[in-house]
Amino acid sequence: MIRTVDLTRRFGERLAVDRLSIEIGEGQVVGLLGPNGAGKTTTLRMIAGIIAPSSGRAEVGGLDPASEPARVHESIGLLTESPGLYDRLSAERNLAYFARFYAAVDVRRAVDRALDAVGLADRRRDRVATFSKGMKQRLALARALVHEPRILLLDEPTAGLDPEAAKGLRTMIGGFRREGRSVLLSTHNLAEAEELSDRIGILRTRLLAIDAPRALRAAQETHVVRVRAVAWDRETLDRLEGEGQVLEASGEEENVVRFRLEDPTRDRPRLVARLVELGIEILDVGEETRSLEDVYLALVREEEE
Amino acid sequence: MIRRIGNVLAKEWIGMASSPSSLLFGLVIPLLLVGQAIFLSWILPRFLAPGAIGLQAPGVEGLSEADRFRVLILSQFRFFVLLIPAMVANVFATLSVVEEKITRTLEPLLATPVRTWELLVGKTLSGGIPAVLVAWASAGLFVVLVSVLGWGALLSHVVSLSWYLSLFLLTPAVSIMSFVLGVVGSSRASDAKSAQNLAVIVVFPIFALIAIQVTGLVWFTPLLTGVVAVGLAVCDVLLLALAGRLFARESIVTRWR
Repeated sequence: MIRTVDLTRRFGERLAVDRLSIEIGEGQVVGLLGPNGAGKTTTLRMIAGIIAPSSGRAEVGGLDPASEPARVHESIGLLTESPGLYDRLSAERNLAYFARFYAAVDVRRAVDRALDAVGLADRRRDRVATFSKGMKQRLALARALVHEPRILLLDEPTAGLDPEAAKGLRTMIGGFRREGRSVLLSTHNLAEAEELSDRIGILRTRLLAIDAPRALRAAQETHVVRVRAVAWDRETLDRLEGEGQVLEASGEEENVVRFRLEDPTRDRPRLVARLVELGIEILDVGEETRSLEDVYLALVREEEE
Repeated sequence: MIRRIGNVLAKEWIGMASSPSSLLFGLVIPLLLVGQAIFLSWILPRFLAPGAIGLQAPGVEGLSEADRFRVLILSQFRFFVLLIPAMVANVFATLSVVEEKITRTLEPLLATPVRTWELLVGKTLSGGIPAVLVAWASAGLFVVLVSVLGWGALLSHVVSLSWYLSLFLLTPAVSIMSFVLGVVGSSRASDAKSAQNLAVIVVFPIFALIAIQVTGLVWFTPLLTGVVAVGLAVCDVLLLALAGRLFARESIVTRWR
C-alpha cells in the first residue's frame, strides 16, 4: 500500500530525511519512532503528497504522491499533529466541509458514520471551541476517516492527551488493523508504538532500524543475568570478577549483581551452580530484557556518536 | 471543481456569518462612507463662498453655483465607494487566512483532493463577492439618499457612464486586489491586524484618485476610467500569480509561519 524508495528531503542545506526506504502492506501498522526533528512529519508529508521529495520516490496505492496528489488524497486519511479544526463551526460542519472535497462520498452518511466511530455523535451540533483537547483529537481522527480511506497517516495521534483519552484513541487505532487499513504512525511514545505497531522504524534523519518490536529488542540483546542474593561478600565477587563474569557488582538495587553471559540459556545453570558452590544464598535469578526504550536510546545515541 | 470551490465559498460564508465583528465591519464602513459623502455635499456648499472653488464637473454650466459644487462633491463618491471593497475584502481575506494559520487547518485541507488554486479562488470569491455587493448596495443607497434630499436633478450629472464603469469594473478589480493583498499579508503575518497593513497599498491610490479629480488635475472620463480598470486588472493577474505561488502546498507547510 505504501512504499518509499530512497526518499530524501532537504530544506536548503539541512537534510531532513535521508534515503528512507520502507514498505507497508495491507492491514499493517508501522510506527515511526524518533526524536524531535528526526524527519517523521516530513516523511508523512511526502507520503501524503503535501511536499515533494528532493530525491527518491514514494508510492501510495501504486500512485506517486508527487505527481498525482489529488488521486492519492482520495485514498489516504491524514491526522496532523495539531487537530486543525474550525473552532467556530460545529463538529458535523467541520466533517461535512472536508467530506465534500471527496467525489464519491455521501456526505451525510459519511459524517454520521465518522462521528459514531469516534463517539461524538451526541456532540455533533456543538461548536468545536467547546470541545476538550481529547475530543478535538477524536474529531480530527473522524475527519481523517470520513471518506473511508484504506491508508492512514497518523502524526503524533495521542500527543498531549490525558491517559484515558490516549487509551481510547489507541483502541480506535488498534481497530484499523482489524479493518485491513494500512497505518503509518509517527510517535514519540514508545509504549504506544510497541502496543500498536507490527513493525517499528527508528528514524533519525535516516532509518536506523525497522523490525517487529520483539525482533528489535532481540537484535540489541545484551545477555545479562541479574542475581539477587541475601548478601554478597567482597572475596566472592573478586573471585567471580577474576573469572570474567561479573558485569556490575553494585547497582541501584540492593544485593543484586549483574553477570554478562555469552549464551544465557547455556550458561545460566552453570553460573547458579557456581554461586551455590561459593556459598551464595540466591533469592532470585532473572534475565535482563531490554525495553524498547533501551533499544531506541541505544540506536539514537549510536547514531549521534 | 465547481463543487469544491462552492464548498470553500459556503464554509467561508458560514464562518463570516458566525463572526459578528466581521459582519458589523462590513456594514459600518459602507454606511460611514455613504454618510460622509452625503454630509460633505450638504455642508460644504453652505459654508464656502460662491466662486471659492474654481473647479467644476464637466457639463454643469446651467446649474447654480451651489449645485455645481455639489455635483463636484457627489461625483467623488464613485471613488469613495472603492474604499468599501478595498477595506471589506481585505478584512475578510485576513480573517479567513490568518484563522486557518492560527488554527492550523490548512495542512489537513492540503491532504484532501482540493487543489490549492481552488482554495484560493473560493476564498477570493468569498471575500470579493460580499465586498462588491456591499459596494453596489452602498451606491444604490447613495442614489436614494441624494434623491430623498432633493438633489435628484443632479443625479444625471453624477450617475454617468464613468460612474457605471467605475462601479462595475473598478469595484471588482479593487476588491480582488485588496483580497489578494490580504492573502499575501496573511501568509507572513501571525495575526489579522498585521496582515491588514498591506491594505494601505490599495487605499492610498484610491485617495490619490479622489485628490487628482477634486483638484482638477484630471477628470475621469469613461475612457480614462476604462484605462485604470485595465491597469488594475493586469495588477490583479500579477498579484493572483504571486498569491498562487504563496498558496502552493509546499509553501504553506514549510514557509508560512
